[in-house]
Amino acid sequence: MVVYFGCDIPEDLYYHPKYDSWVRFEDDETATLGMTDIAQTQAGKLIHIRFKRPGRKIRAGKFAATIESGKWIGPFVVPFDAEILATNEETFKKDILIANKDPYGEGWLIKVRVLDPKHARDGLLTGQDAVAFFQKKIEENGIRCFRCVDEAEET
Amino acid sequence: MDKVRVLDVGLVSPLRSQAIYHGIAYAMKPDTPDTIILVGPTDPYVCIGYHQELEKEVDVAYCQEQDLPVYRREVGGGAVYLDKGQVFTQWIFQRGHLPATLEKRFALYIQPLVDTYQALGIDATLRPINDVHVRGKKIGGTGAAQIGDADVVVGSLMFDFNFELMARVLKVPSEKMRDKIYQSLQEYMTTMTRELGYTPDYDEVKQLYLEQCEKALGVDVYLDEPTEEEIKITEEVEARLGSDEWLHQKGGLRQTSAVKIHADVYLVESAYKAPGGLIRATARLREGRIDDLTLSGDFTMLPAFAVGALEQALRGLTLDEDAIRSKVGEFYRALSVQSPGVGVDDWVQAIMRLKV
Repeated sequence: MVVYFGCDIPEDLYYHPKYDSWVRFEDDETATLGMTDIAQTQAGKLIHIRFKRPGRKIRAGKFAATIESGKWIGPFVVPFDAEILATNEETFKKDILIANKDPYGEGWLIKVRVLDPKHARDGLLTGQDAVAFFQKKIEENGIRCFRCVDEAEET
Repeated sequence: MDKVRVLDVGLVSPLRSQAIYHGIAYAMKPDTPDTIILVGPTDPYVCIGYHQELEKEVDVAYCQEQDLPVYRREVGGGAVYLDKGQVFTQWIFQRGHLPATLEKRFALYIQPLVDTYQALGIDATLRPINDVHVRGKKIGGTGAAQIGDADVVVGSLMFDFNFELMARVLKVPSEKMRDKIYQSLQEYMTTMTRELGYTPDYDEVKQLYLEQCEKALGVDVYLDEPTEEEIKITEEVEARLGSDEWLHQKGGLRQTSAVKIHADVYLVESAYKAPGGLIRATARLREGRIDDLTLSGDFTMLPAFAVGALEQALRGLTLDEDAIRSKVGEFYRALSVQSPGVGVDDWVQAIMRLKV
Protein backbone atom coordinates (compact mmCIF):
# COMPACT_ATOMS: atom_id res chain seq x y z
CA MET A 1 0.00 0.00 0.00
CA VAL A 2 1.31 3.45 -0.90
CA VAL A 3 0.92 6.20 1.69
CA TYR A 4 1.49 9.70 0.32
CA PHE A 5 1.19 12.75 2.59
CA GLY A 6 -0.86 10.62 4.95
CA CYS A 7 -3.22 9.41 2.20
CA ASP A 8 -3.50 5.65 1.75
CA ILE A 9 -3.75 4.51 -1.86
CA PRO A 10 -4.21 0.72 -1.88
CA GLU A 11 -2.93 -0.44 -5.27
CA ASP A 12 -5.25 -3.44 -5.52
CA LEU A 13 -8.39 -1.28 -5.64
CA TYR A 14 -9.98 0.50 -8.58
CA TYR A 15 -10.74 4.21 -8.36
CA HIS A 16 -12.89 6.72 -10.14
CA PRO A 17 -10.72 9.81 -10.56
CA LYS A 18 -13.58 12.30 -10.51
CA TYR A 19 -15.84 10.82 -7.86
CA ASP A 20 -13.06 9.96 -5.37
CA SER A 21 -14.59 6.55 -4.81
CA TRP A 22 -12.93 3.14 -4.64
CA VAL A 23 -14.15 -0.18 -5.97
CA ARG A 24 -13.12 -3.67 -4.90
CA PHE A 25 -14.26 -6.22 -7.45
CA GLU A 26 -15.04 -9.32 -5.37
CA ASP A 27 -15.67 -11.46 -8.43
CA ASP A 28 -17.00 -10.84 -11.94
CA GLU A 29 -20.42 -9.82 -10.75
CA THR A 30 -20.10 -8.22 -7.33
CA ALA A 31 -18.15 -5.28 -5.97
CA THR A 32 -17.77 -3.24 -2.80
CA LEU A 33 -17.49 0.54 -2.97
CA GLY A 34 -16.48 3.28 -0.57
CA MET A 35 -14.93 6.73 -0.11
CA THR A 36 -11.20 7.15 -0.65
CA ASP A 37 -8.93 8.43 2.10
CA ILE A 38 -8.76 11.74 0.22
CA ALA A 39 -12.57 11.90 0.00
CA GLN A 40 -13.12 11.26 3.72
CA THR A 41 -10.42 13.78 4.61
CA GLN A 42 -11.81 16.45 2.32
CA ALA A 43 -15.36 15.97 3.54
CA GLY A 44 -14.28 15.98 7.19
CA LYS A 45 -16.18 14.25 9.99
CA LEU A 46 -19.41 12.80 8.65
CA ILE A 47 -22.60 13.73 10.45
CA HIS A 48 -25.27 12.15 8.26
CA ILE A 49 -25.51 9.58 5.52
CA ARG A 50 -28.57 8.37 3.69
CA PHE A 51 -28.49 5.25 1.54
CA LYS A 52 -30.71 4.18 -1.29
CA ARG A 53 -32.28 0.80 -0.51
CA PRO A 54 -30.89 -2.59 -1.55
CA GLY A 55 -32.55 -3.70 -4.77
CA ARG A 56 -32.32 -0.25 -6.32
CA LYS A 57 -30.63 -0.14 -9.70
CA ILE A 58 -28.23 2.76 -10.16
CA ARG A 59 -27.14 3.99 -13.56
CA ALA A 60 -23.49 4.87 -14.10
CA GLY A 61 -22.83 8.38 -12.77
CA LYS A 62 -25.87 8.40 -10.48
CA PHE A 63 -25.72 8.28 -6.70
CA ALA A 64 -26.35 5.50 -4.21
CA ALA A 65 -26.06 7.61 -1.05
CA THR A 66 -25.82 11.20 0.10
CA ILE A 67 -23.06 12.09 2.49
CA GLU A 68 -23.04 15.09 4.81
CA SER A 69 -20.14 16.32 6.87
CA GLY A 70 -20.04 19.39 9.08
CA LYS A 71 -18.92 21.46 6.10
CA TRP A 72 -20.07 19.76 2.92
CA ILE A 73 -22.73 17.60 1.37
CA GLY A 74 -22.60 15.56 -1.78
CA PRO A 75 -23.60 12.40 -3.58
CA PHE A 76 -21.78 9.08 -3.46
CA VAL A 77 -21.64 8.28 -7.14
CA VAL A 78 -21.50 4.78 -8.61
CA PRO A 79 -19.22 4.76 -11.67
CA PHE A 80 -20.95 1.89 -13.52
CA ASP A 81 -24.43 0.40 -13.87
CA ALA A 82 -25.13 -1.53 -10.70
CA GLU A 83 -27.80 -2.92 -8.40
CA ILE A 84 -27.39 -2.30 -4.68
CA LEU A 85 -27.09 -5.62 -2.84
CA ALA A 86 -26.30 -4.24 0.61
CA THR A 87 -25.48 -1.00 2.37
CA ASN A 88 -23.29 -0.50 5.42
CA GLU A 89 -26.03 1.49 7.17
CA GLU A 90 -25.96 -0.61 10.34
CA THR A 91 -22.26 0.09 10.90
CA PHE A 92 -22.73 3.83 10.26
CA LYS A 93 -25.66 3.79 12.71
CA LYS A 94 -23.31 2.52 15.41
CA ASP A 95 -20.45 4.79 14.40
CA ILE A 96 -21.05 7.61 11.93
CA LEU A 97 -17.28 8.24 11.79
CA ILE A 98 -16.47 4.76 10.54
CA ALA A 99 -15.48 5.98 7.03
CA ASN A 100 -13.32 8.67 8.66
CA LYS A 101 -11.57 5.93 10.63
CA ASP A 102 -11.33 3.04 8.19
CA PRO A 103 -12.36 4.15 4.69
CA TYR A 104 -11.14 1.00 2.91
CA GLY A 105 -12.27 -1.53 5.52
CA GLU A 106 -15.13 -1.25 8.01
CA GLY A 107 -16.17 2.07 6.47
CA TRP A 108 -17.27 0.64 3.10
CA LEU A 109 -20.53 2.09 1.79
CA ILE A 110 -22.28 -0.31 -0.54
CA LYS A 111 -22.02 -3.74 -2.09
CA VAL A 112 -23.40 -4.05 -5.60
CA ARG A 113 -24.14 -6.44 -8.40
CA VAL A 114 -22.23 -5.26 -11.45
CA LEU A 115 -24.73 -5.10 -14.29
CA ASP A 116 -22.29 -4.75 -17.16
CA PRO A 117 -19.09 -6.52 -16.03
CA LYS A 118 -17.41 -6.12 -19.41
CA HIS A 119 -17.38 -2.33 -19.18
CA ALA A 120 -17.38 -1.79 -15.41
CA ARG A 121 -13.66 -1.04 -15.28
CA ASP A 122 -13.81 1.52 -18.08
CA GLY A 123 -12.70 4.89 -16.83
CA LEU A 124 -11.36 3.47 -13.55
CA LEU A 125 -7.73 3.61 -12.45
CA THR A 126 -5.80 0.95 -10.56
CA GLY A 127 -2.25 0.02 -9.50
CA GLN A 128 0.53 2.41 -10.45
CA ASP A 129 -1.76 4.52 -12.64
CA ALA A 130 -3.97 5.23 -9.65
CA VAL A 131 -1.01 5.99 -7.40
CA ALA A 132 0.46 8.40 -9.95
CA PHE A 133 -2.90 10.11 -10.46
CA PHE A 134 -3.56 10.63 -6.77
CA GLN A 135 0.01 11.69 -5.98
CA LYS A 136 -0.35 14.44 -8.58
CA LYS A 137 -3.73 15.47 -7.18
CA ILE A 138 -2.36 15.52 -3.63
CA GLU A 139 0.62 17.66 -4.67
CA GLU A 140 -1.34 20.09 -6.82
CA ASN A 141 -3.96 20.71 -4.16
CA GLY A 142 -1.81 20.59 -1.04
CA ILE A 143 -3.90 17.71 0.36
CA ARG A 144 -2.91 16.02 3.62
CA CYS A 145 -4.96 13.07 4.83
CA PHE A 146 -6.14 12.56 8.38
CA ARG A 147 -8.16 9.82 10.04
CA CYS A 148 -10.41 9.94 13.05
CA VAL A 149 -9.47 7.64 15.90
CA ASP A 150 -11.44 6.33 18.86
CA GLU A 151 -10.85 8.35 22.02
CA ALA A 152 -9.34 5.32 23.73
CA GLU A 153 -6.72 5.15 20.96
CA GLU A 154 -5.72 8.79 21.39
CA THR A 155 -4.01 8.29 24.72
CA MET B 1 -11.61 30.40 -15.44
CA ASP B 2 -13.09 32.96 -17.85
CA LYS B 3 -15.47 35.68 -16.80
CA VAL B 4 -17.95 34.84 -14.07
CA ARG B 5 -21.64 35.27 -14.79
CA VAL B 6 -23.81 37.06 -12.25
CA LEU B 7 -27.52 36.40 -11.99
CA ASP B 8 -28.96 39.15 -9.82
CA VAL B 9 -32.51 37.84 -9.65
CA GLY B 10 -33.70 40.22 -6.93
CA LEU B 11 -36.60 39.23 -4.71
CA VAL B 12 -38.35 36.00 -5.67
CA SER B 13 -40.73 33.59 -3.94
CA PRO B 14 -39.27 31.71 -0.96
CA LEU B 15 -39.32 28.48 -2.94
CA ARG B 16 -37.55 30.05 -5.94
CA SER B 17 -34.88 31.55 -3.65
CA GLN B 18 -33.83 27.98 -2.80
CA ALA B 19 -34.66 26.28 -6.10
CA ILE B 20 -32.68 28.70 -8.25
CA TYR B 21 -29.21 27.54 -7.25
CA HIS B 22 -30.20 23.89 -7.41
CA GLY B 23 -31.62 24.52 -10.88
CA ILE B 24 -28.54 26.33 -12.17
CA ALA B 25 -26.37 23.55 -10.72
CA TYR B 26 -28.40 20.70 -12.22
CA ALA B 27 -28.47 22.51 -15.58
CA MET B 28 -24.70 22.90 -15.62
CA LYS B 29 -23.01 21.68 -18.78
CA PRO B 30 -19.29 21.74 -19.61
CA ASP B 31 -19.69 25.13 -21.34
CA THR B 32 -21.84 26.77 -18.64
CA PRO B 33 -20.02 29.74 -17.10
CA ASP B 34 -19.20 29.77 -13.41
CA THR B 35 -22.06 31.66 -11.83
CA ILE B 36 -22.78 33.83 -8.82
CA ILE B 37 -26.46 34.25 -7.92
CA LEU B 38 -27.71 37.13 -5.77
CA VAL B 39 -31.23 36.48 -4.55
CA GLY B 40 -33.58 37.14 -1.65
CA PRO B 41 -37.08 35.96 -0.71
CA THR B 42 -40.14 38.21 -0.94
CA ASP B 43 -41.56 36.59 2.21
CA PRO B 44 -40.14 34.81 5.23
CA TYR B 45 -39.73 31.03 5.37
CA VAL B 46 -37.94 28.27 7.18
CA CYS B 47 -35.29 26.18 5.46
CA ILE B 48 -34.04 22.83 6.77
CA GLY B 49 -30.83 20.93 5.99
CA TYR B 50 -30.75 18.03 3.55
CA HIS B 51 -30.62 15.28 6.16
CA GLN B 52 -32.76 16.80 8.86
CA GLU B 53 -36.07 15.33 9.94
CA LEU B 54 -38.70 18.05 9.71
CA GLU B 55 -40.76 17.10 12.76
CA LYS B 56 -37.69 16.83 14.97
CA GLU B 57 -36.23 20.18 14.00
CA VAL B 58 -39.05 22.59 13.31
CA ASP B 59 -42.15 23.60 15.28
CA VAL B 60 -44.39 22.69 12.36
CA ALA B 61 -47.64 23.71 14.10
CA TYR B 62 -46.29 27.19 14.75
CA CYS B 63 -45.13 27.57 11.14
CA GLN B 64 -48.55 26.48 9.87
CA GLU B 65 -50.29 28.96 12.17
CA GLN B 66 -48.05 31.75 10.90
CA ASP B 67 -48.27 30.68 7.23
CA LEU B 68 -44.54 30.20 7.18
CA PRO B 69 -43.55 27.75 4.45
CA VAL B 70 -40.81 25.21 5.18
CA TYR B 71 -38.47 23.89 2.48
CA ARG B 72 -35.69 21.33 2.51
CA ARG B 73 -32.51 22.32 0.67
CA GLU B 74 -29.87 20.03 -0.84
CA VAL B 75 -27.20 21.63 1.31
CA GLY B 76 -26.41 20.43 4.80
CA GLY B 77 -26.55 22.17 8.14
CA GLY B 78 -29.44 23.13 10.37
CA ALA B 79 -32.87 24.69 10.22
CA VAL B 80 -32.85 28.44 9.67
CA TYR B 81 -35.40 31.23 9.49
CA LEU B 82 -34.86 33.40 6.41
CA ASP B 83 -36.37 36.61 5.15
CA LYS B 84 -35.65 39.81 3.19
CA GLY B 85 -32.93 40.71 5.69
CA GLN B 86 -30.49 38.45 3.87
CA VAL B 87 -29.25 38.51 0.30
CA PHE B 88 -28.11 34.98 -0.54
CA THR B 89 -24.79 34.80 -2.37
CA GLN B 90 -24.75 31.46 -4.18
CA TRP B 91 -21.72 30.29 -6.13
CA ILE B 92 -22.28 27.58 -8.72
CA PHE B 93 -18.97 26.64 -10.27
CA GLN B 94 -17.67 23.97 -12.61
CA ARG B 95 -16.01 21.18 -10.66
CA GLY B 96 -12.28 21.83 -10.53
CA HIS B 97 -12.63 25.61 -10.80
CA LEU B 98 -12.74 26.17 -7.04
CA PRO B 99 -9.93 25.01 -4.71
CA ALA B 100 -10.04 21.27 -4.06
CA THR B 101 -9.68 21.50 -0.29
CA LEU B 102 -12.75 22.76 1.55
CA GLU B 103 -10.67 25.00 3.77
CA LYS B 104 -9.31 26.90 0.76
CA ARG B 105 -12.65 26.81 -1.04
CA PHE B 106 -14.42 28.46 1.90
CA ALA B 107 -11.56 30.95 2.35
CA LEU B 108 -11.98 32.06 -1.28
CA TYR B 109 -15.77 32.22 -1.01
CA ILE B 110 -15.66 34.17 2.23
CA GLN B 111 -13.00 36.69 1.15
CA PRO B 112 -15.39 38.98 -0.79
CA LEU B 113 -17.92 38.83 2.04
CA VAL B 114 -15.24 39.90 4.53
CA ASP B 115 -13.96 42.60 2.17
CA THR B 116 -17.47 43.93 1.62
CA TYR B 117 -18.15 44.17 5.33
CA GLN B 118 -14.78 45.83 5.89
CA ALA B 119 -15.42 48.36 3.14
CA LEU B 120 -18.58 49.27 5.04
CA GLY B 121 -16.54 49.78 8.19
CA ILE B 122 -17.46 46.46 9.86
CA ASP B 123 -14.53 44.64 11.42
CA ALA B 124 -15.25 41.24 9.83
CA THR B 125 -12.74 38.40 9.56
CA LEU B 126 -12.70 34.81 8.32
CA ARG B 127 -13.10 32.44 11.23
CA PRO B 128 -11.86 29.18 9.70
CA ILE B 129 -13.19 26.97 8.36
CA ASN B 130 -16.38 28.57 7.14
CA ASP B 131 -17.65 31.36 9.36
CA VAL B 132 -17.45 35.14 9.13
CA HIS B 133 -17.00 36.78 12.51
CA VAL B 134 -17.13 40.31 13.82
CA ARG B 135 -15.25 40.39 17.13
CA GLY B 136 -16.38 36.87 18.07
CA LYS B 137 -19.91 37.23 16.70
CA LYS B 138 -21.02 35.36 13.62
CA ILE B 139 -22.42 37.37 10.71
CA GLY B 140 -24.08 34.70 8.56
CA GLY B 141 -23.26 31.09 7.82
CA THR B 142 -21.96 29.27 4.77
CA GLY B 143 -22.26 25.77 3.36
CA ALA B 144 -20.81 23.71 0.52
CA ALA B 145 -22.28 20.99 -1.63
CA GLN B 146 -21.89 19.05 -4.79
CA ILE B 147 -25.14 19.35 -6.72
CA GLY B 148 -25.24 17.56 -10.04
CA ASP B 149 -21.89 18.24 -11.69
CA ALA B 150 -21.41 21.59 -9.97
CA ASP B 151 -19.55 22.64 -6.86
CA VAL B 152 -21.83 24.93 -4.88
CA VAL B 153 -21.04 27.26 -2.00
CA VAL B 154 -23.82 29.26 -0.37
CA GLY B 155 -23.97 32.02 2.21
CA SER B 156 -25.41 35.47 2.57
CA LEU B 157 -24.90 39.16 2.99
CA MET B 158 -26.48 39.65 6.40
CA PHE B 159 -28.34 42.93 6.37
CA ASP B 160 -30.65 42.00 9.21
CA PHE B 161 -31.81 38.89 11.05
CA ASN B 162 -34.87 38.07 13.12
CA PHE B 163 -33.37 36.46 16.23
CA GLU B 164 -36.71 36.01 17.93
CA LEU B 165 -38.38 34.13 15.08
CA MET B 166 -35.24 32.06 14.50
CA ALA B 167 -35.51 30.80 18.10
CA ARG B 168 -39.30 30.48 17.78
CA VAL B 169 -39.49 28.21 14.73
CA LEU B 170 -37.14 25.57 16.11
CA LYS B 171 -38.51 22.48 17.79
CA VAL B 172 -36.85 22.41 21.17
CA PRO B 173 -37.22 20.11 24.16
CA SER B 174 -38.14 22.94 26.55
CA GLU B 175 -38.93 26.63 26.60
CA LYS B 176 -35.84 27.05 28.75
CA MET B 177 -33.77 25.79 25.82
CA ARG B 178 -35.60 28.21 23.50
CA ASP B 179 -34.80 31.14 25.81
CA LYS B 180 -31.17 30.13 25.84
CA ILE B 181 -31.07 29.85 22.06
CA TYR B 182 -32.55 33.33 21.77
CA GLN B 183 -30.11 34.81 24.31
CA SER B 184 -27.18 33.10 22.61
CA LEU B 185 -28.20 34.30 19.16
CA GLN B 186 -28.36 37.82 20.58
CA GLU B 187 -24.98 37.42 22.18
CA TYR B 188 -23.12 35.54 19.46
CA MET B 189 -24.63 36.72 16.17
CA THR B 190 -24.66 40.09 14.51
CA THR B 191 -25.83 41.82 11.34
CA MET B 192 -24.92 44.85 9.24
CA THR B 193 -27.80 46.77 10.79
CA ARG B 194 -26.57 46.04 14.30
CA GLU B 195 -22.97 46.91 13.53
CA LEU B 196 -23.69 50.11 11.63
CA GLY B 197 -26.79 51.34 13.45
CA TYR B 198 -28.64 51.53 10.13
CA THR B 199 -29.44 49.23 7.20
CA PRO B 200 -27.16 49.99 4.26
CA ASP B 201 -28.58 50.29 0.74
CA TYR B 202 -29.02 46.82 -0.77
CA ASP B 203 -27.93 47.79 -4.30
CA GLU B 204 -24.82 49.56 -3.09
CA VAL B 205 -23.78 46.59 -0.96
CA LYS B 206 -24.42 44.14 -3.80
CA GLN B 207 -22.32 46.28 -6.14
CA LEU B 208 -19.57 46.42 -3.57
CA TYR B 209 -19.74 42.65 -3.14
CA LEU B 210 -19.41 42.00 -6.86
CA GLU B 211 -16.35 44.25 -7.03
CA GLN B 212 -14.81 42.25 -4.18
CA CYS B 213 -15.66 39.00 -6.01
CA GLU B 214 -13.75 40.25 -9.07
CA LYS B 215 -10.78 40.99 -6.85
CA ALA B 216 -10.83 37.67 -5.00
CA LEU B 217 -11.38 35.56 -8.13
CA GLY B 218 -9.08 37.64 -10.33
CA VAL B 219 -11.69 37.75 -13.14
CA ASP B 220 -14.34 40.13 -14.38
CA VAL B 221 -17.99 39.45 -13.68
CA TYR B 222 -20.88 40.27 -16.01
CA LEU B 223 -24.60 40.52 -15.39
CA ASP B 224 -26.81 38.09 -17.27
CA GLU B 225 -30.14 36.27 -17.15
CA PRO B 226 -30.73 32.55 -16.61
CA THR B 227 -31.21 30.62 -19.86
CA GLU B 228 -34.57 29.08 -20.75
CA GLU B 229 -33.17 25.66 -19.99
CA GLU B 230 -32.01 26.81 -16.55
CA ILE B 231 -35.44 28.26 -15.78
CA LYS B 232 -37.08 25.03 -16.89
CA ILE B 233 -34.86 22.94 -14.63
CA THR B 234 -35.37 25.39 -11.75
CA GLU B 235 -39.13 24.91 -12.15
CA GLU B 236 -38.65 21.15 -12.04
CA VAL B 237 -36.60 21.53 -8.86
CA GLU B 238 -39.38 23.72 -7.42
CA ALA B 239 -41.89 20.94 -7.97
CA ARG B 240 -39.67 18.57 -6.03
CA LEU B 241 -38.59 20.93 -3.23
CA GLY B 242 -42.21 21.96 -2.81
CA SER B 243 -43.53 18.41 -2.49
CA ASP B 244 -44.65 16.92 0.81
CA GLU B 245 -42.80 13.73 0.08
CA TRP B 246 -39.49 15.59 -0.20
CA LEU B 247 -40.16 17.75 2.87
CA HIS B 248 -41.09 14.82 5.10
CA GLN B 249 -38.25 12.62 3.91
CA LYS B 250 -36.64 10.57 6.65
CA GLY B 251 -33.73 8.24 6.96
CA GLY B 252 -30.66 10.35 7.64
CA LEU B 253 -28.54 9.12 10.50
CA ARG B 254 -28.76 12.16 12.70
CA GLN B 255 -26.13 12.07 15.41
CA THR B 256 -26.59 15.23 17.46
CA SER B 257 -29.39 17.24 18.97
CA ALA B 258 -27.13 20.22 19.68
CA VAL B 259 -28.08 23.62 18.29
CA LYS B 260 -25.07 25.28 16.76
CA ILE B 261 -24.91 29.05 17.23
CA HIS B 262 -21.48 29.37 15.68
CA ALA B 263 -18.25 27.42 15.34
CA ASP B 264 -17.37 27.76 19.03
CA VAL B 265 -20.81 27.93 20.62
CA TYR B 266 -23.38 25.13 20.96
CA LEU B 267 -26.56 24.76 22.98
CA VAL B 268 -27.31 21.34 24.33
CA GLU B 269 -29.87 19.74 26.57
CA SER B 270 -29.86 16.37 28.30
CA ALA B 271 -32.28 14.44 30.44
CA TYR B 272 -31.28 11.76 32.90
CA LYS B 273 -33.57 9.70 35.11
CA ALA B 274 -32.03 9.32 38.54
CA PRO B 275 -33.76 7.20 41.23
CA GLY B 276 -34.78 10.43 43.01
CA GLY B 277 -36.19 12.15 39.93
CA LEU B 278 -35.51 13.47 36.46
CA ILE B 279 -32.53 15.79 35.95
CA ARG B 280 -32.67 18.10 32.96
CA ALA B 281 -29.49 20.00 32.09
CA THR B 282 -29.50 22.86 29.55
CA ALA B 283 -26.09 24.23 28.73
CA ARG B 284 -24.21 26.52 26.45
CA LEU B 285 -20.82 25.11 25.52
CA ARG B 286 -18.19 27.56 24.40
CA GLU B 287 -15.02 26.04 22.96
CA GLY B 288 -15.96 22.79 24.74
CA ARG B 289 -16.40 24.39 28.17
CA ILE B 290 -19.64 24.91 30.09
CA ASP B 291 -20.31 28.59 29.54
CA ASP B 292 -23.80 28.65 31.01
CA LEU B 293 -25.82 25.92 32.72
CA THR B 294 -29.36 25.49 34.01
CA LEU B 295 -30.38 22.43 36.02
CA SER B 296 -34.01 21.57 36.52
CA GLY B 297 -36.25 18.57 37.11
CA ASP B 298 -38.41 16.99 39.77
CA PHE B 299 -35.64 16.05 42.21
CA THR B 300 -35.34 17.50 45.72
CA MET B 301 -32.17 19.27 46.77
CA LEU B 302 -31.31 21.02 50.03
CA PRO B 303 -30.29 23.65 50.98
CA ALA B 304 -32.63 25.52 48.64
CA PHE B 305 -29.87 27.53 46.98
CA ALA B 306 -27.84 24.42 46.18
CA VAL B 307 -29.13 23.99 42.60
CA GLY B 308 -28.07 27.51 41.61
CA ALA B 309 -24.78 27.07 43.39
CA LEU B 310 -24.11 23.78 41.56
CA GLU B 311 -24.84 25.48 38.23
CA GLN B 312 -22.26 28.12 39.13
CA ALA B 313 -19.73 25.58 40.35
CA LEU B 314 -19.77 23.68 37.06
CA ARG B 315 -19.26 26.70 34.81
CA GLY B 316 -15.92 26.84 33.08
CA LEU B 317 -15.39 23.07 33.24
CA THR B 318 -14.84 20.92 30.17
CA LEU B 319 -17.00 17.81 29.82
CA ASP B 320 -14.41 15.60 31.40
CA GLU B 321 -15.94 12.90 33.57
CA ASP B 322 -13.26 12.97 36.28
CA ALA B 323 -13.26 16.77 36.53
CA ILE B 324 -17.07 16.88 36.80
CA ARG B 325 -17.12 14.10 39.42
CA SER B 326 -14.46 15.79 41.49
CA LYS B 327 -16.23 19.16 41.34
CA VAL B 328 -19.67 17.76 42.23
CA GLY B 329 -18.17 15.67 45.07
CA GLU B 330 -16.40 18.70 46.48
CA PHE B 331 -19.64 20.71 46.20
CA TYR B 332 -21.66 18.05 48.06
CA ARG B 333 -19.09 17.95 50.88
CA ALA B 334 -18.68 21.73 51.18
CA LEU B 335 -22.40 22.51 51.37
CA SER B 336 -23.53 19.28 53.06
CA VAL B 337 -26.00 18.87 50.23
CA GLN B 338 -28.90 16.48 50.66
CA SER B 339 -30.68 15.15 47.57
CA PRO B 340 -32.56 11.90 48.20
CA GLY B 341 -32.14 9.45 45.34
CA VAL B 342 -29.79 11.74 43.43
CA GLY B 343 -26.09 11.23 44.05
CA VAL B 344 -22.83 12.55 42.66
CA ASP B 345 -22.80 9.89 39.94
CA ASP B 346 -26.26 10.90 38.75
CA TRP B 347 -25.09 14.47 38.21
CA VAL B 348 -22.04 13.20 36.37
CA GLN B 349 -24.27 11.09 34.10
CA ALA B 350 -26.62 14.01 33.40
CA ILE B 351 -23.79 16.43 32.64
CA MET B 352 -21.78 14.01 30.51
CA ARG B 353 -24.85 13.50 28.30
CA LEU B 354 -24.36 17.09 27.18
CA LYS B 355 -21.34 16.05 25.16
CA VAL B 356 -21.82 17.12 21.53
